[in-house]
Amino acid sequence: MNETVVTFFSGSHPYQVVTELLTRYLGFNATGLLTVVTFFVACFVIVNVMALVGGLGTYAERKISADMQMRQGPNRVGPFGILQFLADGVKMIMKEDIVPKDSDKMIFFIAPILCMAGVFATLAVLPFSSGFTLTHLNIGVFYLLGVSSVVGVGIFLGGYSSNSKWSMIGGMRGASQIISYEVPVTLSIIAMVLLGGGLNFKDIVGAQGGLPHQWFIFHNPFTVISFIVFFIGALAETNRAPFDLPEAESELVSGYHTEFTGMRFAFFALAEYVEVFVLCGVAVALYLGGYQVPFELSDTFLLHNKIGLPLGPARILGQLLEVGGFVSKTCALYYVVIWIRWTLPRLRVDQLMTLCWKYLTPIALINLVGVAFWVYYFDGESMWNLIFKSGAAAAGGH
Amino acid sequence: MFDNFLFISSAALTVCGALAVVLSPNLMHACTYLLTSLIGVSGLYVTLSADFLAATQLVVYVGGVVILMLFAIMLTGGNDNKSVNKFGIEKIAPMGNIKTFTLAGLSALLMALVISKIIVNVTKAVPKGELPPFSSTVEKIGELLITDHVLAFEISSVLLLGALIGAALIARPRKIES
Amino acid sequence: MSAYNLNVYMPVVILVAIAIVMVVGALLVGKLLRPHNPTALKEQAYECGEEPVGSAWSNFNVRFYVVSLVFIIFDVEGALMLPVAVVFRKFQGIGNGAVVLGSFLLFIGILVSGIVYCWRKGDLDWVKSFTLNSYNEDRDQIAESKTA
Repeated sequence: MNETVVTFFSGSHPYQVVTELLTRYLGFNATGLLTVVTFFVACFVIVNVMALVGGLGTYAERKISADMQMRQGPNRVGPFGILQFLADGVKMIMKEDIVPKDSDKMIFFIAPILCMAGVFATLAVLPFSSGFTLTHLNIGVFYLLGVSSVVGVGIFLGGYSSNSKWSMIGGMRGASQIISYEVPVTLSIIAMVLLGGGLNFKDIVGAQGGLPHQWFIFHNPFTVISFIVFFIGALAETNRAPFDLPEAESELVSGYHTEFTGMRFAFFALAEYVEVFVLCGVAVALYLGGYQVPFELSDTFLLHNKIGLPLGPARILGQLLEVGGFVSKTCALYYVVIWIRWTLPRLRVDQLMTLCWKYLTPIALINLVGVAFWVYYFDGESMWNLIFKSGAAAAGGH
Repeated sequence: MFDNFLFISSAALTVCGALAVVLSPNLMHACTYLLTSLIGVSGLYVTLSADFLAATQLVVYVGGVVILMLFAIMLTGGNDNKSVNKFGIEKIAPMGNIKTFTLAGLSALLMALVISKIIVNVTKAVPKGELPPFSSTVEKIGELLITDHVLAFEISSVLLLGALIGAALIARPRKIES
Repeated sequence: MSAYNLNVYMPVVILVAIAIVMVVGALLVGKLLRPHNPTALKEQAYECGEEPVGSAWSNFNVRFYVVSLVFIIFDVEGALMLPVAVVFRKFQGIGNGAVVLGSFLLFIGILVSGIVYCWRKGDLDWVKSFTLNSYNEDRDQIAESKTA
């Protein structure tokens, strides 16, 4: 069985005690029940954390943009305005729900659900740490690609169902942009899968190390380019500036969610912010060492035997260290995403498509071939190893 | 228990989605229902422990083919309420003659025979035994693709090349004939 | 616990269920809180204050269709390449790397030839009809037809 949150916890003593107690009390084997409950609690926690991340994302976006433009940004609600997103949420829920008369009511209702479901389903494989990941599916990365493509359909249907010209154009652009940029992203991912030797995030992250020279981004010259291609593609897939053509406010009012009010709009926005976080997380897992902590500090063996922590806390502490590593790297990338948004001007539609099909896709293909050759010739060793070895040989070492 | 739940829910999604596609008078709604049906099929693959196939189903069909269909609908101007036509009887004149109908009937019969052959096999009692371990199917597929079925692997590339050029050809603007 | 275990997919189902419940629940809860007094003006589609003319569901350019068609082809390519990429290092380990690399490169090569063809023929251009050459050709043709 693949590793999941449940297999992580079921190894611990309290979990087994609870299972035993429940089995005795309920009169049947409580393993299955407890599995469902654990999964549910874990999912619930992660969804809430992600909703918080989405909310804080809007806050961070406004605050960072204000910082870049020498403004104050939100500063009224709570200390430094940090509770602004809660006030916004309350406002959203109090807003009147307006459904345009000519709209397609059913699809109008379904579109936000598709966006939310698509984004939330990706959280199942997002590798926060080796133990706290909801589930390490065998098809990890590929599953993530497939599920996140539902978001594109949601955006298109959102634009279509409004029966407004702005929304329609935004939806068409959004869907075509998302599917176009999926091509270079997929090709970059294939290159990383070649290096990692598995679709499972555990394999890919496990093939990397905690220190920067062990990350896949610095594995060889091709992977650096691959990371840049992936990152640009991820920006475009999440409709972030400079690729926010589907919601270009200067030409399309608000794009595919022009007609969505109140909570319906809030769900589109939440889905977008969470998706940015997820894709930053994927970039971290694929290129930046994922949840690996330098010097194997998170190793249970080290914490348990050398430092002398009891086994349970040692495991939890190790996992928390890994979560910290993952989240801090992801937040750094998140900052870069926002930074790019407030730095670069928006592309034109034809420039967008030219960039995808004439630059990124060929570059990604060449990269893929390059990585394949690297794995073949140097047996998958990173360039630092090669440099070190040749240096050692030149110095006459053994 | 979860296996059964997964199977029943994805089977229900597939069947209900497919039925809704057929019964829906609205083209766009039909496409949306098709989405649920395809997701259901992917769930069925998961219950068969064909996890890579399930993901492929999601990536190619949900992410690609459904969007292709949506764009194809928009190519014809979306779902205009005037053109709603539940069975298409008034609009489309009967295409074909006795020869084509006979041919269609025969091929339908052939397909029915093949399907019944499959059903016979499925309903036959299978000896109870150990189910194969739920390991990564991706590696097996990859191994087979470059050992036994390497020809199919390469030929599929040629097929896709043909499709790519075909797609480019039909979209090319026509030269003005003078 | 048998090795054949679908429990690993449980979070997926739970997460999708949570997403659906969240959207539906928020809309239902909001129904108790929010005002509801629609007017004909509110329910119009927003077109910067103008009365909307006609439906937005109009014919769209064929280029969107072509992009999605090309995307599907690349998607299938990706789906076929992924399993090979997964086992590449394992075959490399047993000394079979060259053969696998060869078939992999052949696969990519055929794909690249398709892209090169499309590129040369100008099918990757988003704006096809407004290139200066074709514009000039069209103008010449129109001028010719007028003089004729």
